[in-house]
Amino acid sequence: MPIHEKHLIRPENIKSHEKLVLDGIDVSGHWSTFIETRVVKDYNENLEVEIAALPGGENIHRCWQCGSCTNSCTVNAINPDFNPRFWIYLIRLGMEEELLRDKDIIWQCVSCNKCTYACPRDVAPEGVMKATAHWLELKGHTKPSPSTIFDDVFTEQVVATGVIEDGLVLRNFFKRTGQSLNQPWLVEMIKRMMAHLPVAMLMKMGLATLVHPRTGNWGAARDAINEYVAEQDAHHRQALGLESLVEMARQEATKPFQHAAE
Amino acid sequence: MRESLMNDPVLIVGGGPAGLAAAHALSSVGRPNILVEKMDRLGGAPILSGYAKLVPSGEWAKDAIGGMVSRVINNKLTDVRLNTIVKSFDGEPGHFQAVLNDGSTLKASAAILTTGFTHFDSINKPEWGFGTYPDVVTTTQVEQMISSGKGVLCPSDGRKPKRVAILLCVGSRDRQIGREWCSKICCTVSANIAMEIREELPDCHVYIYYMDIRTFGLLEQKYYWRSQEEFKVKYIKARIAEVTSNGGQLIVKGEDTLVKRPITIPFDMVVHAIGMDPNVDNMTLAAVFGVKLEPNGFIDRQNTYGVIGATNRAGVFVAGSATGPETIDDSIAQGNAAAMSALGALQVNVAAE
Repeated sequence: MPIHEKHLIRPENIKSHEKLVLDGIDVSGHWSTFIETRVVKDYNENLEVEIAALPGGENIHRCWQCGSCTNSCTVNAINPDFNPRFWIYLIRLGMEEELLRDKDIIWQCVSCNKCTYACPRDVAPEGVMKATAHWLELKGHTKPSPSTIFDDVFTEQVVATGVIEDGLVLRNFFKRTGQSLNQPWLVEMIKRMMAHLPVAMLMKMGLATLVHPRTGNWGAARDAINEYVAEQDAHHRQALGLESLVEMARQEATKPFQHAAE
Repeated sequence: MRESLMNDPVLIVGGGPAGLAAAHALSSVGRPNILVEKMDRLGGAPILSGYAKLVPSGEWAKDAIGGMVSRVINNKLTDVRLNTIVKSFDGEPGHFQAVLNDGSTLKASAAILTTGFTHFDSINKPEWGFGTYPDVVTTTQVEQMISSGKGVLCPSDGRKPKRVAILLCVGSRDRQIGREWCSKICCTVSANIAMEIREELPDCHVYIYYMDIRTFGLLEQKYYWRSQEEFKVKYIKARIAEVTSNGGQLIVKGEDTLVKRPITIPFDMVVHAIGMDPNVDNMTLAAVFGVKLEPNGFIDRQNTYGVIGATNRAGVFVAGSATGPETIDDSIAQGNAAAMSALGALQVNVAAE
């Protein structure tokens, strides 16, 4: 018998026996097909609050599941599994296990913001996607994407010096993502720069690579930014219950020493 | 002096169902009243916009509302002023003075605003094709097709549609265009229209695309279920992303959210279930009558536990869809209630003097 809406059924839940005889009747192959029931075993009642605590996720509670975001989605047009409306539903219900099944595509949002303009409730689904990707990273379900690493490297440098030094950003990015600096395109680019840029500019660039210029009197700004970022980070971690996890781990880790001391 | 105050007529502004009901109610207890209407005829939206069969009575608008109109016109206690606008309204409860657009003045003991609503203009949701494709129409236009007797036909070439999509919440429940209210009656009206189309064109498939269905109260059985069980109207939970055309037919795109599957379906006709906006004149009305508007732009109504239909200004009452999306039946009830409130308030004035 054909299975309707087969795309809603997980392959691992479709059971059939190659060879099966029941009461003397051969029901081998698709005759014996049955579908295992999908069962929701638990809810993470805090999931919506966690997503809402991260930047972009604030308005997730407004969603009423009309599907405008998925309709208008650039990525959904290419990959029907990329379904913001569905993820918002899962998050609001706290179906974390279901959400995690899609952890490897949620970050693929290209931030075109078509959903933002289509949404009749101002949920800002693009922000929710961002928050969800952020959540997956903070919870350790996904590794930081190369673009996140680039953003980190870039931001760290700006915060530290108040200046963007492109060469350093590139070097740090390649280093942190484990890539070789010996990229053919990079070599070619540097060759052409050497050939075409004025000597004075090349000298200036070379000097910058060596001495790392800074914005004057940057210290106060740097401290203020760092303080704010740390504040936000602590807030996010607390909302996601990560602080208590860290604390638990710390206590676990210190126990043996206490025993030893006794 | 007391007598003359008592005898000043009650001014009713707007000749739709609520205004007609208020006029009839006042006349029926012998209170003279003046009914001013800016258009050239009475009846309000059901008559001016050419509605077909009304919900939930199933009676033709021209008979049902037409009956209310002739009842008012034939009553000597109601002074009907057509093509008339109130330019200013000053004074106190019991003795107001109104200046009309022809320069004349009149005395009124109280006023009841039954100024109604304005249909949402679908041009404000361009992604749904209205104004771009002639076969994208509004529920009001379909009502007119039915009430005119011409039947439901595609405006582009006059053919009978084989597939019709009705999109709900056009101009309602939409922050993008600053309209966060539910227009209350469009679900039921759409189910009604869907049944009428199925009755007139049995070969035509009718689909309703919805976010939620709000055929409230007793309308649930009579419209929501009957349209499905008897008339085989199909309901799909999807908000449509866009309406385009392949040259011949309209293409409707969206996501069927219940089965999590994209939709790209051709239709012959797409119907926008348009919502109810505040009357476009509400800012002027608020200034002339000194009444407040609520945040969405409808006329603000005090709570109904004390005096029903009271505005912030003593002696000025409001009823019907001037206060927010409202059904015809409830508008009529509110018109009656506001008339009662006005009478009661005048009694208080007389007693106090």
